[in-house]
Amino acid sequence: MLIEIENLSVTYLRNGRQTRAVEGVSLAVAACESFGLVGESGSGKSTILRAICGLAPVSGGTIRIDGKAIPTPRGRAFSRRVQMVFQDPYASLHPRHTIDRTLSEPLAIHGLPLTDAAITKALTDVGLPANFRFRYPHQLSGGQRQRVAIARALMLEPEILLLDEPTSALDASVQAETLNLLSRLRAERGLTFLMVSHDLAVIDHMCDRVLVMQHGRAVEELTRDALATAQMKTDYARNLFAASADRMLQG
Amino acid sequence: MSLLSVKNLRVTFDTEAGRVEAVRDVSFDLGRERLGIVGESGSGKTMTGRAVLRLIRPPGKIEADEMTFDGIDLMRASETEMRALRGPRIAMVMQDPKYSLNPVMKIGAQLTEGLRQRDRASKPEAYAKAIDALNAVHIRDPERVMEAYPHELSGGMGQRVMIAMMLIPNPDLLIADEPTSALDVTVQAEVLSILDNLVKTRGMGLIFISHDLRLVARFCDRVLVMYKGKVVEELAAKDLLHAKHPYTQGLLNCLPRIGGAREPLPSLDRDASWAL
Repeated sequence: MLIEIENLSVTYLRNGRQTRAVEGVSLAVAACESFGLVGESGSGKSTILRAICGLAPVSGGTIRIDGKAIPTPRGRAFSRRVQMVFQDPYASLHPRHTIDRTLSEPLAIHGLPLTDAAITKALTDVGLPANFRFRYPHQLSGGQRQRVAIARALMLEPEILLLDEPTSALDASVQAETLNLLSRLRAERGLTFLMVSHDLAVIDHMCDRVLVMQHGRAVEELTRDALATAQMKTDYARNLFAASADRMLQG
Repeated sequence: MSLLSVKNLRVTFDTEAGRVEAVRDVSFDLGRERLGIVGESGSGKTMTGRAVLRLIRPPGKIEADEMTFDGIDLMRASETEMRALRGPRIAMVMQDPKYSLNPVMKIGAQLTEGLRQRDRASKPEAYAKAIDALNAVHIRDPERVMEAYPHELSGGMGQRVMIAMMLIPNPDLLIADEPTSALDVTVQAEVLSILDNLVKTRGMGLIFISHDLRLVARFCDRVLVMYKGKVVEELAAKDLLHAKHPYTQGLLNCLPRIGGAREPLPSLDRDASWAL
């Protein structure tokens, strides 16, 4: 298993009050697999991704990548292997950096050769014209920004992509294009996805297995077949599925 | 007689780069029913909703051959008359609770402000009504929420507070702009049933603006599909899945489905003639 999470707990301390965002969640993702996390807001699904990246206070449990516990702070070797794409493309790109600067920064930090060709290739790989290089984020649409965010995450050629609601801020038609792009990149580069979404249809389209979460705990793990044929064991997963009934193949 | 009648509504912005037509010749009639307006971002659906309340700032201009609400000519009404309509008669739930609630005022104060000012309600009376309104939108702990500031609420709670606030004066027409887009499917179903109940029991008219076609198909009676400021198709919601216009069909086809095939999703090929 490439990613192994065991008994992960995340606790926020604020004003002397403890908030347990994630409680004892375990999951394992094989290499080249696509794994989904689904649940309502506040269920802790995004927090798991943030914990992997070192952006959330882990209070218990272990996270292993390739059998080795990941170091704290995460360090450069980690970011070479694992990258994250955030939900809101309006907030995740630096508003005063050109696309060129946004894309070159990871290379500069890691001391990798910075070439024109690398930037141009990164843009064309995500289906953007090369002349977008010198634009600013505000000159792009939401879908184009999310493509830039994906291109940025891929600059260091990571194996694992953590996707936090990558299409929920986008229109239906743009969502389709972005999901197609992600599927194509995964096939071409053999990427491993850990993807968070509240839309069961998106998760079903993208993922092989899915973990349903509620109130910071894992409720049930389902394979894609079990999801499509509505074979869930817990009431909560069934409710979630019923509320998404209009996302079924036969509407 | 219809509650709201709009004929050839146009919203234009004169900008430095030239004239932008945000809404072009939109016409519809609304009774005491649920009308859905769907389209992608930038299609003019929010502008249509705001134009009904004349909430478009210069350089934006609203023009229409006719726009009447319950016998009142909205195009000729004075600003004072419009103020009397906004809120008590026509209310609008804005898209983003983060930006539409006052960040430095407690929820309770915001909910009771209108009751105290407009209806001259006493403090306990206003408080009781506000608690009722919060209960009506299924907020579990209304006393705590009354004492909270907007940043202490989640997106879904904020959106429900907005809906509660708009429903306090009992409006005849509610314009809801993406009222459920920040909500999870389970909460979404709850909010929709609240709105549905109001249409059925109070006989309220509802304009439901959304980009989610499947949601609108399930929830509304009639649907207007907008593309680049124009209505490209108007149809009964139950027929939405058999839409004729290629744009509507394209929007439906590009959505992933549970149990669907793993092949790339069909993309939307836009035809220049749709925008004409």
